[in-house]
Amino acid sequence: MKTENKNLKTGKVIVVLGPVVDVKFEDNYMPAIYEKLLIDREDGKYVALEALQHVRAGVVRCIALQATEGVSRGMRVVSNGRTIEVPVGEEVLGRVLNVLGEPIDNMGEVKAQHRRPIHRKAPDFFEQSAATEVLETGIKVIDLIAPYARGGKIGLFGGAGVGKTVLIMELIRNVAHEQGGYSIFTGVGERSREGCEMIEDMRDSGVISNTALVFGQMNEPPGSRMRVALTGLTLAEYFRDEMNKDVLLFIDNIYRFVQAGSEVSALLGRMPSAVGYQPTLGTEVGALEERITTTKTGSITSIQAVYVPADDLTDPAPAAIFSHLDATTVLSRKVVEQGIYPAVNPLESTSRILEPRIVGEEHYRVARATQEALQRYKELQDIIAILGMDELSEEDKNIVFRARKMQRFFSQPLFVASVFTGMEGRYVPVKTTVECFREILAGNADKYPESAFYMVGDLDEVKEKAK
Amino acid sequence: MEIRVITASPLSEQEKRKIEKVFADKHKGESVSFRYESDSSVIGGLLIIDGDDFYDATLRRQLGNLKSHDEPASEIIKRKCKEKGVSEFDAIHELLAEKVQGYKNERDRIKAGRVYYSGDGVIRIHGLNDVRYDELLDADGVKAIALNLEENEVGAIVLDDEDKVKAGTIVRATGNIVEVPVGEQLLGRVISPLGEPMDGLGALSASGTRPIEAPAPAIPDRGKVNSPLQTGIMAIDAMIPIGKGQRELIIGDRQTGKTSIALDTIINQKGKNVYCVYVAIGQKASTVSAFVHTLNEYDAMKYTVVVCSTARDSSPMQYIAPYAGCAIAEEFMYSGKDVLIVYDDLSKHAVAYRAMSLLLKRPPGREAYPGDIFYLHSRLLERAAKLSDQLGGGSMTALPIVETLAGDISAYVPTNIISITDGQIYLESELFNAGVRPALNVGLSVSRVGSSAQIKGMKKVSGKLRLDLSQYRELIVFTQFGSELDPVTQRMLDQGARATEMLKQDLNAPLDVEHQIILLYITMKEMLLKVPVNKISSFKKQFTDYLDANGGKFIEAIRSTGDLTMEAQIELEEFVEKFLELYNR
Repeated sequence: MKTENKNLKTGKVIVVLGPVVDVKFEDNYMPAIYEKLLIDREDGKYVALEALQHVRAGVVRCIALQATEGVSRGMRVVSNGRTIEVPVGEEVLGRVLNVLGEPIDNMGEVKAQHRRPIHRKAPDFFEQSAATEVLETGIKVIDLIAPYARGGKIGLFGGAGVGKTVLIMELIRNVAHEQGGYSIFTGVGERSREGCEMIEDMRDSGVISNTALVFGQMNEPPGSRMRVALTGLTLAEYFRDEMNKDVLLFIDNIYRFVQAGSEVSALLGRMPSAVGYQPTLGTEVGALEERITTTKTGSITSIQAVYVPADDLTDPAPAAIFSHLDATTVLSRKVVEQGIYPAVNPLESTSRILEPRIVGEEHYRVARATQEALQRYKELQDIIAILGMDELSEEDKNIVFRARKMQRFFSQPLFVASVFTGMEGRYVPVKTTVECFREILAGNADKYPESAFYMVGDLDEVKEKAK
Repeated sequence: MEIRVITASPLSEQEKRKIEKVFADKHKGESVSFRYESDSSVIGGLLIIDGDDFYDATLRRQLGNLKSHDEPASEIIKRKCKEKGVSEFDAIHELLAEKVQGYKNERDRIKAGRVYYSGDGVIRIHGLNDVRYDELLDADGVKAIALNLEENEVGAIVLDDEDKVKAGTIVRATGNIVEVPVGEQLLGRVISPLGEPMDGLGALSASGTRPIEAPAPAIPDRGKVNSPLQTGIMAIDAMIPIGKGQRELIIGDRQTGKTSIALDTIINQKGKNVYCVYVAIGQKASTVSAFVHTLNEYDAMKYTVVVCSTARDSSPMQYIAPYAGCAIAEEFMYSGKDVLIVYDDLSKHAVAYRAMSLLLKRPPGREAYPGDIFYLHSRLLERAAKLSDQLGGGSMTALPIVETLAGDISAYVPTNIISITDGQIYLESELFNAGVRPALNVGLSVSRVGSSAQIKGMKKVSGKLRLDLSQYRELIVFTQFGSELDPVTQRMLDQGARATEMLKQDLNAPLDVEHQIILLYITMKEMLLKVPVNKISSFKKQFTDYLDANGGKFIEAIRSTGDLTMEAQIELEEFVEKFLELYNR
């Protein structure tokens, strides 16, 4: 840090409320909103702040991006009048960065030619481009019921411990590995251990050379978790806008971004809104989500994990995120209890592109028929619980048996979970998936026992297992 | 403007004059009045309170400040007396004049303040301009933590006797973030979250201290979880294996055996070179005492530290307890050891933090918990990790415990913690009452890392056990209104019932991994189908005795190779067949 710099403004810390810090500048200098400030801790370390509110003349309220333990009032604060800027371009591929764009992989400086501020406007209306092409994932339940669109926005919703992260890892493996191209992985408020394992796995498989990773995990203060999603997004935007690329953007977990905002909201002096969330919840999510979009220059296909607090899908945060997505994959605890992985709930997952025009007549028909059968089974379950199977009509019995087989057939060994299940993963092409379900619906698989449908790839495997 | 001058014994008129001149110079043009008070508690020297500024040259402060790096005022005074041959008062006066004159930079103020509000364990203080965020304060012998540094005041929470802090109490900043003693001398001891001994075994002689809040190991500092932490409980070691450096939540209603699992795991670490830290948060004192008693009975206190905050402690004290325990465990971890830490339990911790936050007037969110309730636990549990080899390769395995109400696993705090930990062990009261103990719900219990840490032999026998059992439970529900069952389904039901029986285990009876592998092998090979379900537990006992008497080579083979080889499998099957013949006779 060159303190002799003439352009450097200095001020003092006057209030510390956990992650929220008020700073008073000399000569009534007012830092711009989103300007980056640094507290000089006097022990050789600096704490980065981001200006957020002008409180009164000369006093600015900031959010700390690093821990504030040990900061005291009167400590010197410096600013060079710029916002947080992160390195962008091909130089970031293969690297691991933090919210400030600093490398955290012990591999030295990122020698990028360009830097971009993390706060930017969303692309204008006339730049938008619609997504109409299917992105195959190789996961049966997703491809059949809630197919993903290339250049679309996809959400994986689920409560704690239902397998969001495992599914996102599998998608990285299936989509990023199989299809190539650049990917950005952003870890927001998730486990550091997972970050660590992800880096290692990517190094082992070699995809890291086409991937940039950005982490602000759950051990970091709210300021970092609030901004790290923007850091990751900024890297993706550069590839889309300046290099005309199609980029994959993985965010695990977008809910943590909202959560971090609510942690500091009260300390910033805002009144709490529903369930204690920040009053700015809707606009914060909107400002971020609108930037993740496909334009005429390039595309961003984003896959975002969304944590559902207390398994409550009506919570204001997931509810606000829902409306921004093209496809939603809902993972549910009930499915986990049955031992079915991935624990996707086929009746709650939806996709905007599941229409005959895009996926084809056949696929559409099979998907809807599957949902109908599962829905009918769900309704019949109460009757079965009271009266038993024998009271059902022949037709209903068939529906129940087929639905149970389809439920099991939705389970699938995942590549990234092979250490848990002891089974090698399966990649099932969409075409095969649709065919298999058509056969089950038509009753052509009635002869195989239910357990043969569990944890397999296609119908050939069912036949094999039934022997 | 009134200036208070407090001394142990009354000052002479001449002395008063001198002080008045110093302050008249400071407040040029203002009218200043002086009030002189005697207070024997300052012991010696004097204390001047001028608005928010404190000039504390009392002996009391010096006594409490022996650790400070600055030259104590008493030394300076002594030196001045000697050098200049003046009286003690004159020396103090001279020092004071220097301090007041030198008072240009705000940061030179003396680190003291005065309480003006005290209620429900929250105090607000004027002064203390120099205090750091999270610094430990001393309010006349009572400890407090500075949490809100505002423009003209400091908000703090009181850790111990809150009734002793009154408006007007003088508060001193200690210069330290809250710390606890650490090191191997703590093993076998029961201490408070502030590091005071509670077991009546005399003073602690700890080798060092650590701040209770510390950053978690960064991503490049971490290693891969790759060696197992054996709990000695077969159901867990087989289906929900825990690795060293993992965080595995134990969750369930009250009285479902949560603490017992933690207790058995600690007991099972005997002779395995793992240190244990047990943190009791807001527990009944008698429960903790019984816990320690059991540990002593099994000779487990030798490698265990107990950090205890009981239900009668203030909520701030309960709030810092797990961080204190974590700091103690961290010291072991960073010195290359393997540590197991148990937080019993984090739901009480969340409640304590909620009480504290609401008293600090932070707005409530879901279930009235404050917005940062997630960060409260995430920054704690992230500190448990496996370190990279460059950092010594130590590990901290955390077993947090959470109590649910009426089996509601999807309540706010339980789901928060599930989303932090690397898996959970879910205990159900229905299973507990039905005699399945440990009362493990197989479908909802999971371990996200442990299986990569299992030894090879265990992986072989336990691979599909968890998925099979959860399918079995779903099948029971579906088939209980029995229509006719096909033979495949019937066999699955029979096999599932036997596996469930096999996994039942008594309290405080840990089983080593070699025995576990053999028992699971014969279960998995469906060899138990010949034994009636209600006889499984007696079979298990007799077989184990028979195995110990005649099958030592199997145990030895697994111990040396960590695997159950093909040859051993064939021999073992013959061995079991022979036993079954004897048994069925």
